[in-house]
Amino acid sequence: MKTRLESLILVLACTATGLGAQQPVLTPRDSALHALNRLAYGPRPGEVERVFSEGVTHWIDRQLSPEKIDDDALAGREREFRILGYDRGDLAGLYKEIQRERRERLQKGDSAAAKADDTPMAQRGRGLAQQFEQLAVVRAALSERQLYEIMVDFWFNHFNVYFAKGADRFLTPDYVEHVIRPQAMGKFADLLIATAKSPAMLFYLDNWESVASGSLPPAAMHARVRTFFGRPPGLFGPVRDPAQRDSARRRAAERMPKGINENYARELLELHTLGVDGGYTQHDVIEVARIFTGWSIERPQQGGDFQFHDWAHDAGEKHVLGITFPAGHGMDEGVRLLRLLASHPATMHHVSSQLCQRFVNDTPPDGCVDDAVAAWKRSDGDIREVLRAIFAGPDFWAPQNLRAKVKTPLEFVASAVRALAVDPDTTPRLAQIVARLGQPLFLHVAPDGYPEMEAAWVNSGALLDRMNAAMALAAGKVPGVVVNLDSLVAPTPDPERLVAAVDGRILSGTMSANTRRVIERQVSDIGDAAQARVLAVGLALGGPEFQKQ
Amino acid sequence: MTIGRRVFVKSGGLALFSLGLDPLFLARAALASFRPTVRLSDRPTLVCLFQRGAVDGLNMIVPHGDRTYYQERPRIAVPEQDVIDLDGYFGLHPRLAPLKPLWDDKRLAAIHAIGSPDATRSHFDAQDYMESGTPGVKATPDGWLNRYCQHDREHDATPFRAVAFGPQLPRILAGAAPGLAIDDLQAFGLRGPQPQVRDRLTRAFEELYAGSATGLLATSSQEAFEAVQTLQHVDFASYRPADGADYPRGKLGKAMLEIAQLIKAEVGLQVAFADVTGWDTHVNQGASEGQLAARLDELGQALAAFDRDLGERMRDVVVVTMSEFGRTVCENGNSGTDHGHATAMLVLGGSVLGGKVLGQWPGLDQAQRFEGRDVAVTTDFRDLFAELLARHLGASDLSAVFPGFSPDPTRFPGAIRG
Repeated sequence: MKTRLESLILVLACTATGLGAQQPVLTPRDSALHALNRLAYGPRPGEVERVFSEGVTHWIDRQLSPEKIDDDALAGREREFRILGYDRGDLAGLYKEIQRERRERLQKGDSAAAKADDTPMAQRGRGLAQQFEQLAVVRAALSERQLYEIMVDFWFNHFNVYFAKGADRFLTPDYVEHVIRPQAMGKFADLLIATAKSPAMLFYLDNWESVASGSLPPAAMHARVRTFFGRPPGLFGPVRDPAQRDSARRRAAERMPKGINENYARELLELHTLGVDGGYTQHDVIEVARIFTGWSIERPQQGGDFQFHDWAHDAGEKHVLGITFPAGHGMDEGVRLLRLLASHPATMHHVSSQLCQRFVNDTPPDGCVDDAVAAWKRSDGDIREVLRAIFAGPDFWAPQNLRAKVKTPLEFVASAVRALAVDPDTTPRLAQIVARLGQPLFLHVAPDGYPEMEAAWVNSGALLDRMNAAMALAAGKVPGVVVNLDSLVAPTPDPERLVAAVDGRILSGTMSANTRRVIERQVSDIGDAAQARVLAVGLALGGPEFQKQ
Repeated sequence: MTIGRRVFVKSGGLALFSLGLDPLFLARAALASFRPTVRLSDRPTLVCLFQRGAVDGLNMIVPHGDRTYYQERPRIAVPEQDVIDLDGYFGLHPRLAPLKPLWDDKRLAAIHAIGSPDATRSHFDAQDYMESGTPGVKATPDGWLNRYCQHDREHDATPFRAVAFGPQLPRILAGAAPGLAIDDLQAFGLRGPQPQVRDRLTRAFEELYAGSATGLLATSSQEAFEAVQTLQHVDFASYRPADGADYPRGKLGKAMLEIAQLIKAEVGLQVAFADVTGWDTHVNQGASEGQLAARLDELGQALAAFDRDLGERMRDVVVVTMSEFGRTVCENGNSGTDHGHATAMLVLGGSVLGGKVLGQWPGLDQAQRFEGRDVAVTTDFRDLFAELLARHLGASDLSAVFPGFSPDPTRFPGAIRG
């Protein structure tokens, strides 16, 4: 594999030279920068040279085995994020307290009610949620396992859940830590099954409440009607008045699910596996929904785990994509279906296409998709083999795909942090900037996740926001991010030297002649060398070159 | 699901692209060279609100005269006594009460059983089709509002002709004609401690992008700096809504307030767009109260405040709500509704033939439903959108806006005075 890749780079470099001056030449240095732009959140100062000396293929190989990369520095920083010390149950308990305080204030009347969403518990909850969003930016910026962090982001978007939907407020961190992260470089089928069983996904796409038509939980047959799935009637405050209790019971009984819910089934086929043109019908969606009846959550309001409810499962015969699922089966047929979907040709094509879009070009080249699908077949859906094939393919290194993609807001912010070699703390300001630029993390409401197309991110308002963010970062005005430009670019009264240093250290030598000229002129009349440096760095980070990868 | 502008590059302009010229940029340059003479203050404005997630049209404009409605929705039907009757058969959800005076004043109409000829129940596909204006065709590179701006050039090139209020330019405005996404009107532009710093940064970045950017980065930045220049002359900070208009808190209220501000600033706003989310009510949708009621409450208040704030100016303004599809006639097992087919849309404004529920009502009986479960579509959404463009904005070339569809005035629902 190594030799194939190295000879390929050489061939491309020669071919490009042969074509004449208009075509960019892919030098080994270019390929190191390209690898850092795509398999990482951009280079840190001097990193292009380090990857180049190590050998680009060697570096890529290492990135494909993240478990072998030492990441102690990040681990140290992660320990400061209190959110990682909370499990689902802890967060569910906190959420319950927030609800209780809120209700108490609402009942007290006007002045207290106005602050119902601003109780101490609510502030604590918000703080933890913001910390979790900040953690994603910090990991993207600081981890040595760069490709792994990119895949975590990719898979979260692929298997998107919405952090602000009900129980997902306390289920989402667990989903990232224990479903997405452990499987991000494993087998696709394992990841798919893990998401299908995750409380966060079961709640987000409503499958936890999808039951066979006419089925009733065993508890409902007893005289004492308990609320659905063991949620006690008094969850939202002590219920003392018998009439009130009856009405709570009646409401709970009314809320009891009475049939199938197609939501998960549809998105499973359309987004997670086959793709919208994957050849399934509305009938298939209904049959898939029947197969997943009973896939539910044990005590969802308390942050419980996956639980299969035999009583809610439709045990009849089903047909999906022309395949028969015989009657009399339980949870096993859902797993069978997921394995089948995971290795379906339409799934391989759909997911490979998205990977090529992420790593190569917004319009995924056919050759890249074909290589990825071939590797998928060979390796039985081993994600790292699929990635290896993409990085070894000619499309990945094709000159027209260099710096051809616009950075997403997360990529822009993480790459700026890396370019400035800063070490952000738990202050959630970077996550707020990413949100301001249009990508609030874990908060894409629709199940399709954030788009990978430049048209989704490039518009006039968002560009101005990027320029503002770049200036704020360069000026050291972002709380929680201590910028020390001295270690990057020595202050100098000479505009030409200053701009050359900014080009080399911040833009990895990609600065255009126009950009150089404009920044030189802008700093030429600023007497204070430190001020001039801030302006030069800010313009470089907010300028057009840095928006691309 | 987003096709975006790259498709345009791929399908139409590969040769140009490989030479380093972006056809989108060329298309925009061509558009910018056209300078007609309509005064900015005389322009009609169309405001489009997209109810993302598929609004339950049956609980928004309630067919309270239909027994089937109550039979199929034992837990979530709006009780007869709560419905605000409109014509003896249909009525408003009680939380849309602020709109009743506009209805009585014949400035608000509803269109029922409207939707897409495509049967998809996927949010993404259906939204995509409603925004591209080409149901069933995914490869359409641009949105229909953008195509309107491309083909109807009776306006000079103000950067505010088409504005989306939100962080991203939506699919409906994607395409060759310039469009602006504004997330916060007051914070629009470069920030700096003093005006001189702001001006300097603005100039510096403008020069950077003018000389070094290519493709979308170039055109978008050009639009950005034109817009910054125009907004410098408007004082938004001290704005007070007219006539005691009270916009609801939240994203929609803020968007409607900013749209009103831009209309009053007479910067040439012709097409405004905003998203309203939270309509995907699969679980515990509620009836007169509850989840859907809270969303309708915000919608009703925002529209009423907007109408009050603009006052006389509503003469030249039309607001339309749209949603990708409706929801099942029957409630589901979770006291909610699943993805359906036809829905209802609202049209509000001075040129609206209001006080009517328009469209042909197909009925709710099993045999009358689409696939036995959903409200059937009797009005293609393009017939309504085409009518708005033709009769309100005065569009001349509708076939270019809706390719593969021949807009026929005899099929227009009759929402706008002809």
